[in-house]
Amino acid sequence: MADYDADATELLETYDFLMKYIIIGEAGTGKSCLLHQFTHNSFKDHSQHTIGVEFSSRTVKLGEKRIKLQLWDTAGQERFRSVTRSYYRGAAGAILVYDITNRQSFQNLDRWLTDARALASSNLVVVLVGNKSDREDEREVEWAEASRWAAENNVHFLETSSLTGDNVEAPFLLCARSVLLSIESGSLDPDKAGSGVSYGDRALRRVNSSSRLSFGSLSYGRRKKATSKLRLKDYVPGTSNSKCC
Amino acid sequence: MTSPPPRPSTSPLVSRKPVSGSSPSPSPSQGRNPVSLRLYKVLGAGFEDEPTKEALRTLSELYGATTANGTRATLVNGKATKEDHQDDFDSDDGDSEEDTSEERKLSLGPFLSDEVVAPTGAAAHARKNLKRDIDVKLAGSSRKFLSALGGVDQKLDALQEHITTMRAQCDQAHSQLQTTNDACKSLLDQAGNLRQERDTVASQQSILNLFLARFTLTSEEVTALTSRDVPPGKRFFAAMDKAVKIREDCRVLMSVDGPTKAGLDIMTATSSNLEQAYDKIFRYLTSEFQTLGRGNRDRERSVDPDANLEASPTLKEAVRRLRDRPELLSDALAVLSQTRQSTLLATFLDALTRGGPSGLPRPIELHAHDPLRYIGDMLAWLHQAIAAEREFMESLFGLGREGAGRMIGSVRKFEKGRMGEAEEWVGDMVDKNVGKLSGPLKLRVQQTVRSQESPILANKIANLLKFYELTVRRTIGEEAALSEALREMSDVSNKVFFDALEAQGRALLRVILDLNDAALAPPAPVQDHMQALRDILSMYDSSRLDDSSAPEAEEPVGNGAAESSADYGVERVLDVMIDPALEVCLTAAEEKKRIRPTWDGPVFVLNCLTYLQDVLEPYAFASTKRESLNAMIETRVNQLAEEHYQDLLKDTGLNVIVAAIESKPAGEPLSHVDTAQPHELSAVLQKFSTWLSGLEVMHSPRLARLAVQRLHSQIHQTALARLARTYQSICEEVRKPENRYEAASTLLGGQRPFGQIHLLRQIFGLGDEDM
Repeated sequence: MADYDADATELLETYDFLMKYIIIGEAGTGKSCLLHQFTHNSFKDHSQHTIGVEFSSRTVKLGEKRIKLQLWDTAGQERFRSVTRSYYRGAAGAILVYDITNRQSFQNLDRWLTDARALASSNLVVVLVGNKSDREDEREVEWAEASRWAAENNVHFLETSSLTGDNVEAPFLLCARSVLLSIESGSLDPDKAGSGVSYGDRALRRVNSSSRLSFGSLSYGRRKKATSKLRLKDYVPGTSNSKCC
Repeated sequence: MTSPPPRPSTSPLVSRKPVSGSSPSPSPSQGRNPVSLRLYKVLGAGFEDEPTKEALRTLSELYGATTANGTRATLVNGKATKEDHQDDFDSDDGDSEEDTSEERKLSLGPFLSDEVVAPTGAAAHARKNLKRDIDVKLAGSSRKFLSALGGVDQKLDALQEHITTMRAQCDQAHSQLQTTNDACKSLLDQAGNLRQERDTVASQQSILNLFLARFTLTSEEVTALTSRDVPPGKRFFAAMDKAVKIREDCRVLMSVDGPTKAGLDIMTATSSNLEQAYDKIFRYLTSEFQTLGRGNRDRERSVDPDANLEASPTLKEAVRRLRDRPELLSDALAVLSQTRQSTLLATFLDALTRGGPSGLPRPIELHAHDPLRYIGDMLAWLHQAIAAEREFMESLFGLGREGAGRMIGSVRKFEKGRMGEAEEWVGDMVDKNVGKLSGPLKLRVQQTVRSQESPILANKIANLLKFYELTVRRTIGEEAALSEALREMSDVSNKVFFDALEAQGRALLRVILDLNDAALAPPAPVQDHMQALRDILSMYDSSRLDDSSAPEAEEPVGNGAAESSADYGVERVLDVMIDPALEVCLTAAEEKKRIRPTWDGPVFVLNCLTYLQDVLEPYAFASTKRESLNAMIETRVNQLAEEHYQDLLKDTGLNVIVAAIESKPAGEPLSHVDTAQPHELSAVLQKFSTWLSGLEVMHSPRLARLAVQRLHSQIHQTALARLARTYQSICEEVRKPENRYEAASTLLGGQRPFGQIHLLRQIFGLGDEDM
């Protein structure tokens, strides 16, 4: 058994959590480009309208935890609304995108948020993203205004540029952090179906191999210290190789 | 020790005496007496130098020691001291006399008295007997030497003897050694040979060891390969690698040297080991798949399709290796797909009926009353499940990032042979894993679809299904069971849609129109019907945009096929929708015409036709149907134009003349025909002239009821043009001499348009060009 554990070295692909995100917002706000920049680190030239829903994934690192993101990129066009609405279910996070050079896309945010809140799980974490921040000259939506809207609606907010890649990772990480926090606070249980989050192999191995408490070390902050203390206590009197089984 | 106390007392006396006695004596006899010279010399000589002091000390010891030990010894010693003293003198002076030495002894007294303490009696004795004492002592010493040396001599003799014996023995030993050496020579040679042989053997052994290390598995490795106690891991895989390497090397060697026994043995052994290893991987995978495929760990009944959908590195490695044994791998994968199937099925049913934790998101079936949402939710769930499944399979087969799957919106290619082997496995597995879902999905979708009566909703559902059919096909391939099922569902929904359309068409045909209605507009039921068509067409139009917006993403062949079939679909829609409407309009026109002859049937039909055409107008894809409608309109327009012309002829009265011209027997002048006699003709022309000044020239009240103004003017113009031509031909006939009109020009010029065609055309508002 010890042999086996030693063999199971952690590769890049293993992760602690799997989260489902949905990317929403008006057509032409750059959702697909944002995602492309996030998953490929490059700008998607001559992007066409998304048809229905498209899928991609990426693993990110947040602190010491690896999180696999399954990203569902939706079409913003009205005619796809009936299709995309079905993808809110089972999403842990929503990246709500508007175009800072297009006031209309900002004004419609209420509708999108209402949809998201109504159709997704109650724990859905929403991050508002003002895209195309590289086109400052054509700005139609002020940062302060969007920030106010975000505060009023209790969502996170930041601006990005899919063209330059500026700040592109931030919304995804921000979202992941919020989800982790709500897992830690107990309001979200990754074991339940439909929560949009589930444990990865890596986290499971930890859960299985040591006490349930040591899972706490996955999350951060105050509890982490307490846990490590506990673990220390556990291991000090025991033999050195008591770690396994 | 009794001697020390008297010594200090005597010594001042002794010392004083010679000093006082001798110092006056030299002064009188200065330089003359040889004795005194000698004495002076002696006295002049220092006794302070080290050897002298040493000699004196020895002397004093000689006597000193005797005083302590006994009288005789003292005497001897005292003499010896003196003797010694004199010896010292002798060494200084060469030949010396008794007297001088005696005297010297006296003169030396004071020096002696300081260090050597001798009793006065002994000293005297010593002075007398010094020489004898010394001789005696010397003789004694010599005797002692003699006896001692005699012993030594004897010992030496014995030693000599021993040495001789030894030598003899040594010689013997040497000769013996010589013989032995000779005897050993062959033995040594033998030993040398043996040593050489041993070296060879040792090197052979090391070679063999190397060979064995390279060509056989250690027992540890064999255990790793075959034992059930060692789970597959690094050790196991390393052992496998080695076994494979051994086989390769062995094969290379055997290809050079031909099959050898060792080679064959090695091949057999490793192959059996490898087989065992593969078996072991198979067992491992089977058991892993049984637990892994189950998703979450039976902790609760709520199942998450994605829970723990991750392949551990060992698992991936195991799968990779078992790909060399496809039959075993496919068996193991069959187990996986079975567990995945049941897991996915359970999860799907959960999502349908139980929803998420604490009921959020709500169960999908909660929205069963909203067919679009219901079906859309199910299909979206499916789509997500497929994506997760595919990711899992790709990670299991190690097709990670570099795989084509990551590209956003990219279309997977599913041509056999062009995909890698792993890609085929993945596709196959995903197909199998999600295939079972098609059952419950189909059941629900078809139930929902079949209960649809509204063609609009049916069409929406059909479009939705079509969309997902395409999406799923792109993800898991055309031949996948789920794609097949979706295609079936899509077909069914399509059929339902057309059924609904046809039913509507039939319903339209059954509608009894109010035949008393004098209106010439398309009847209301037809308008409702066409509104439905309008909705469908606009939906279709937007779905067409999808196709055209993503042509690059799609394979050219597939795209073309999809397009043509879609076009076929819309053709059918148009047929099914337009034909009943047409029929209704035409039959209604016929019947009304029969009942109310005054009712303007042709205008009504044209109005209906143009209405239908108007519905199709914005859509390029409806061109074929529009063409056929156009053709119909054309005919109807021509008919109407003809009719209108006849009406005009009648209205203008020219018809009489025309009839006369047409009916006159050949050879008979027109003026002789009753209806065309000059008088009659003049009346007709006058009537025509009156008509020309009327409103009807520009505007026909009948045609005004046409919905399309363009047709009105078109028909009217056509009719007017023909009228103009008729007038022209009448003029020509009248001017012909054989028709025997007198003053034909006057006759024609009497009334407008005075026989001038261009004038008439001007009145009609026609151009001259087409004259």
